[in-house]
Amino acid sequence: MKTWLRIFFVGGVISFRALFSWIRPSIYIPTMLLGPTTQVLFFAYLGRTAHLKSDSWFVVGNAVQSASVAALFGMGFAIDGERWTQTLSAVLATPANRAALFLGRALPVLVNAAVTAATGFLGGALLLGFRMPWSQVPALALVLLLASFACTGLGMLTGAVGLRMRDVPIIANLTMAVLLIFCGVNIPLDKLPGWMHRTADWLPMTHSIAAARRIAEGASLRSVSSELLRELALGLTYLLVGFGLMRFFEQEGRRLGTLDRA
Amino acid sequence: MTRGARVFWTGFVLHFKNLSASPFMMVTAAIWPLVYATLAFLMFRATHQAPSLLYAALGAAVMGIWSTTATSAGGAIQQQRWLGILELLVGTPARLILVLAPITVAIAGIGVYSIATTLLWGRLLFGVPIHVLHPFLFAVAIPAAVLSIGMLGLVLASSFVLYRSASNLSQALEYPIWLITGMLIPLSLLPGWVHPLAWALAPTWGMRAVRRAAIGGDVGVPLLVCAALTVAYTVLAFLLLHHFERLARDRATLALT
Amino acid sequence: MAVIEAIELRRTYRTTTGVIRRKPLEVEAVRGISFAVEQGELFGLLGPNGAGKTTTIKMLITLLLPTSGEARVLGHNVVDDAREVRQRIGYVFGGDRGLYERLSAYDNLRYFAELYGVSGKAQRARIDEVLELVGLKGRESERVEGYSRGMRQRLHIARGILHDPEVVFLDEPTIGVDPVGARELRTLIANLIATGKTVLLTTHYMFEADALCDRIAVIAKGTIVGEGTPTQLKANVAGGRVTEIEVFGVDDAAVGRLRGIDGVTAVTVEDRDQKQLLIVQTTSERELTAPLLSELDGVEVGRVASREPTLEDAYVALVTAE
Repeated sequence: MKTWLRIFFVGGVISFRALFSWIRPSIYIPTMLLGPTTQVLFFAYLGRTAHLKSDSWFVVGNAVQSASVAALFGMGFAIDGERWTQTLSAVLATPANRAALFLGRALPVLVNAAVTAATGFLGGALLLGFRMPWSQVPALALVLLLASFACTGLGMLTGAVGLRMRDVPIIANLTMAVLLIFCGVNIPLDKLPGWMHRTADWLPMTHSIAAARRIAEGASLRSVSSELLRELALGLTYLLVGFGLMRFFEQEGRRLGTLDRA
Repeated sequence: MTRGARVFWTGFVLHFKNLSASPFMMVTAAIWPLVYATLAFLMFRATHQAPSLLYAALGAAVMGIWSTTATSAGGAIQQQRWLGILELLVGTPARLILVLAPITVAIAGIGVYSIATTLLWGRLLFGVPIHVLHPFLFAVAIPAAVLSIGMLGLVLASSFVLYRSASNLSQALEYPIWLITGMLIPLSLLPGWVHPLAWALAPTWGMRAVRRAAIGGDVGVPLLVCAALTVAYTVLAFLLLHHFERLARDRATLALT
Repeated sequence: MAVIEAIELRRTYRTTTGVIRRKPLEVEAVRGISFAVEQGELFGLLGPNGAGKTTTIKMLITLLLPTSGEARVLGHNVVDDAREVRQRIGYVFGGDRGLYERLSAYDNLRYFAELYGVSGKAQRARIDEVLELVGLKGRESERVEGYSRGMRQRLHIARGILHDPEVVFLDEPTIGVDPVGARELRTLIANLIATGKTVLLTTHYMFEADALCDRIAVIAKGTIVGEGTPTQLKANVAGGRVTEIEVFGVDDAAVGRLRGIDGVTAVTVEDRDQKQLLIVQTTSERELTAPLLSELDGVEVGRVASREPTLEDAYVALVTAE
């Protein structure tokens, strides 16, 4: 959902604050809740147009994708937004543990991402008649959490890059575009050119989406365990690399004085 | 040119220039349509029953026009307020609609960049033939689509400036309008009750005019409807803005401070 | 006939207060203001922040409807004949905003020239003329984002006079501009009068008002508390004198005792690093230095000086008077 990013820009700092202290329902509901549902609908109908896959296939793919994007952008906001309000250097000046600082910031983002995905499923259920066994819901929830975690990891990485470059939103936009095209959200992986298929293997979301689709069809957690482990490993890797970069850029930033925007 | 037309044209050129200098606008206009075009190309190419890739390229291109409009036009008046310019604009003797319409039309106009980039992208990466059946009609259809979509943007902007709590809906309108106006999904696939709604929306007819000019079919009717909708939106925006100006002078809401 | 006429102008804002339970709240920003500005005059509206200066200007330039009362600019009613008024006036406010940053100064001006109906042929010549006037000739093709505060302000003025308005409203035009830039702006404003325009200026820089204005109205809490030429206003300060006393660590009680002295009309305290400056206005020609100093017994006193009242003294006396 690039719209979240746009709110940041178009609405400026005011909207950003409202978005991130998501207390204001007037912003939260349309962007976070209507967004996933309309996206699910759009791609399901696009799938019908192309005669490609069932509605359910698109519901699962897009709902999981909306979670990961919420995570990706949430992390970017959490880091870049601080620089906007020029408090980043104040926070960094505190002796707080860096890991706790940034991971603490990641937690609400993660929860938000899972809620976003849930609304995508709900929208699919209400408007497209998406059904799955109730008994599979806990397993699906776990997959969603994992997908959000993996993307939060990637968000940490893009956020870190954002600490350095001045265009977090543009980087986040590009990342999101890549994920949307590569990860089998709307295009079956086997229909992608070989190099894209191979790249997808190393991106977060690809494996969660595949696992979520099978779980929605009734498969057990055990049967998708290899996909889940792979996702977990990817998420951890991105998170660690992101965190490492963050520390590195923080040092650099102090040296070069680029932490604050103004 | 009459005074009104000159005010409109000067404003359009100026705001188009201003928006073109905004990296964010350009990313929205240039990159996102490419993403959707790519998605559509890959999806359509995966089966044999899908519409042609040129159909997809044109759809993604016009989606770009709606994208910039949905994301930026809805807040266009607010934006001028934040810049501290709204007061100055209202304070000129020019009619408010002639001052504000060029802004939203220019925002839609930025979407024209997306037509160029998508067609080029499709040609270079996916070998989509750029074959336009009626170049002249195509050249007429694009400004007609931009104008009508831009005026729809003005209707949004003027209603959102009146009902501020609704203004966040603007961005959320992106997918729904793409969905129901036949950009990539034929209207015939959608439930019947959606059709009248689609017919009242300029993007439906703008899309139809652009696509038929390129691929074939009657262009006259969609162009006429586009023109009629432009007039209807203009009247609606005029009334809304008239109300807004009166209200703003009464409640002191023109300035931010 | 007066060029600007305000008759019993009043403006109330309705807002809400309270976080949980919203209560409607009425704020009277302007409570019955009347004044008239004559052709070719430079009229100043002075007053503290929130006194109602900007609200008054906004009513006069048609951007705000008065709650009651009437105003006319060049004989046109500001409520009903808004377009006629807008065509004939220029409006300039101070500060950074109000320009298209990513566009050149020339484009900004061209746009507003069009909005004000400066016809195509005359446009270029007129833009050149105003650029020359405000001293931005040669810089007009640069983007505004690179402009200094002073340059932006001059561009604002250029924009305000593009259509050669008969009346120009300047709302705190020198705010935030460095001293040199502000001085240039004042010269520019004086030049506007020289070309026959009528100017209404708001400011809270006293020396600025003193140097520029033919006549001044002082607004406090939404009403006019004093009006006249700078000389008249100064004379109003009880025809008296001002004593400045430098002290180190004076308390409120001592200031209160000074106010109690017969013949003292106002006492203000200005903080200057470790010391304070007491500005004491007195009514009479009588020398009050001795009684003043005796009330300050126990306070360390520095320099003591007596001088003629300035416009600032007159202003302070007016806005602090209850």
